[in-house]
Amino acid sequence: MSTAPHPLAASRTPLRALLATYREFARIGFVNILAFRMRYYTGILTYLINVTVYYFIWRAVFSQTTGPIAGFSLPQILTYVSVGWILRSFYWNTIDQEMAYEVIEGKIAMDLIKPVSVQWMWLSRSMGESAFRLIMLTAPVAVVIGLLFPVLAPASRVHFALFFLAALGSFFLMGAINFLIGTCAIPLQSILALIRAKFWLIELLSGLLIPLKFFPHRVQAVSSWLPFEHIASTPLQIYLGMLSPMESLRLLALQYAWVAALLALGHFWWARATRKITIHGG
Amino acid sequence: MSSAPLISVRALSKHFRTFRRREGIAGGLVNLFHRDYQTLKAVDHVNFEIARGEMVGYIGPNGAGKSTTIKMLTGILMPTSGEIVSNGFVPFRQRAAYVKTIGVVFGQRTQLWWDIAVIESFKLLRRIYDVSQRDFDERMELFDQVLALRDFLHTPVRKLSLGQRMRCDLAAALLHNPPILFLDEPTIGLDVVAKDHIRQFLKTINERYKTTILLTTHDLDDIEELCRRIMIIDRGALLFDGPLAALKEQLLRTKQIKFILRDGEQAPRLAAFEQALAAAPANGALHLERLDELTCRIVFDRKRVATADLIRQILGAVEVRDFVIEDEPIEEIIKRIYGGEALTPEAPASQP
Repeated sequence: MSTAPHPLAASRTPLRALLATYREFARIGFVNILAFRMRYYTGILTYLINVTVYYFIWRAVFSQTTGPIAGFSLPQILTYVSVGWILRSFYWNTIDQEMAYEVIEGKIAMDLIKPVSVQWMWLSRSMGESAFRLIMLTAPVAVVIGLLFPVLAPASRVHFALFFLAALGSFFLMGAINFLIGTCAIPLQSILALIRAKFWLIELLSGLLIPLKFFPHRVQAVSSWLPFEHIASTPLQIYLGMLSPMESLRLLALQYAWVAALLALGHFWWARATRKITIHGG
Repeated sequence: MSSAPLISVRALSKHFRTFRRREGIAGGLVNLFHRDYQTLKAVDHVNFEIARGEMVGYIGPNGAGKSTTIKMLTGILMPTSGEIVSNGFVPFRQRAAYVKTIGVVFGQRTQLWWDIAVIESFKLLRRIYDVSQRDFDERMELFDQVLALRDFLHTPVRKLSLGQRMRCDLAAALLHNPPILFLDEPTIGLDVVAKDHIRQFLKTINERYKTTILLTTHDLDDIEELCRRIMIIDRGALLFDGPLAALKEQLLRTKQIKFILRDGEQAPRLAAFEQALAAAPANGALHLERLDELTCRIVFDRKRVATADLIRQILGAVEVRDFVIEDEPIEEIIKRIYGGEALTPEAPASQP
């Protein structure tokens, strides 16, 4: 139960063919995103605007003091925000929204007639989209932000390497959570409210908007028992070198444990939910 | 192996629980805390078997349970009770392995990716179903011959016409050459030419690969052209299962004779004949309709009147240039079944 079950265990497909299948889904995700040029350009703009807004907010906050607040100096907090949004452009996906849409449209049936794990199909499609954004969105945004704002370099090479692992973990964590939420659309039909609630919960508890260290201790204590802070806070703290390499590794392990647990939970939740599928029309 | 059925369905039921919404503000508040559930029996104790290579038409009015049956057969829905064994699998339980051996087309939906070129979807499906490049090329060649896909392979699906999309979806469902093909209203909304394309293709596939095909439709021409066997479902229950010819034999009630008079001089003799027909009680007092000056029609109960007798009577009474004898259209028969006309007990309830 501790790791995600093998997606196609029943059919004994050779692993190589299996990987080829999911790589193909990733390719489709990549090609699919290319179909929407406008969304791409507005995407870049949105990220730049967000970073600019937070840049001025934090400048204003720090104008009242010279010392660090909650352990952050001004250059650190500006780096936190900038790298945070760059990171978000990579781990972000909309699996839950797309699944909700498919359930309403009845398209979920077309996923079920394909000989693949629906969970891994969604994850690999999103992986393809994230790979696309990494090259086409994350990289240019990073360059522009690096030129416009005073962004600190990563604390060390080790920290930088660990940061990349944590960023990959963020993607899977986000994907696993979104798949769980998306699956709720099968019994609930309409999950727009749920998606909104999740959105704000993650914006807040991932530490993206405000670092968790700014929160009261009790909230921090509760948060440490939840998966959300490993989406943004953990990789960003690693990047800034606020954690020792050992401490970073510990949190990284915790992050991947959450990934495995939530993927497993998603697998079982999906299996349960599909027993109750009702498809209207047709 | 050839005698065992490829698909076997026993006492299959699917019940949906729906809840009745109360009306008004007060009702809405009550709904928050308490719901009145009612059970809808979409499919109720259905039994049938399908042998390898059969083409079976599955018909019924809207909401009869056709699509629900297909969705259980394809592993999308879990049956409430009963058993399905298809191609050696239990569809819902062994979904991922099972769907590798079937092809599915839902006329109202597409399994292709909406925003990308058709060929990209085909490439993905080739991977998913682990089809070798050689087989892939060979099948694409065949599909192109019958379905003429080449012209729009590089067009995104959303820009295809319904007929083009349908052809692509059929090709997509058959890329891995599955032994079983399920089609849910494959000709819905298509024009005559596109329908013919699809029918020819299904015939080709069935003959060439012995593909077993189960299709639902509202177009009875599909059935008459493709299927020797027909299953009729209404309100979740199977009403008929057997050859189309047997259905006609059992339920065909009326026939009609149209005849064209040699010339206008037959009019007085025709009037006399008309009176004689109306007065003959053994025939159930037949009514002669005049369609135009020379054309007449008589609709008669085929159990009470022998066609040959009636022809003899007509020929004895008037001079006739031409005859047309027609069965009651199959649509009329089906309409009567939906309307609740009971099938006689000696009906073949299921295939032996």
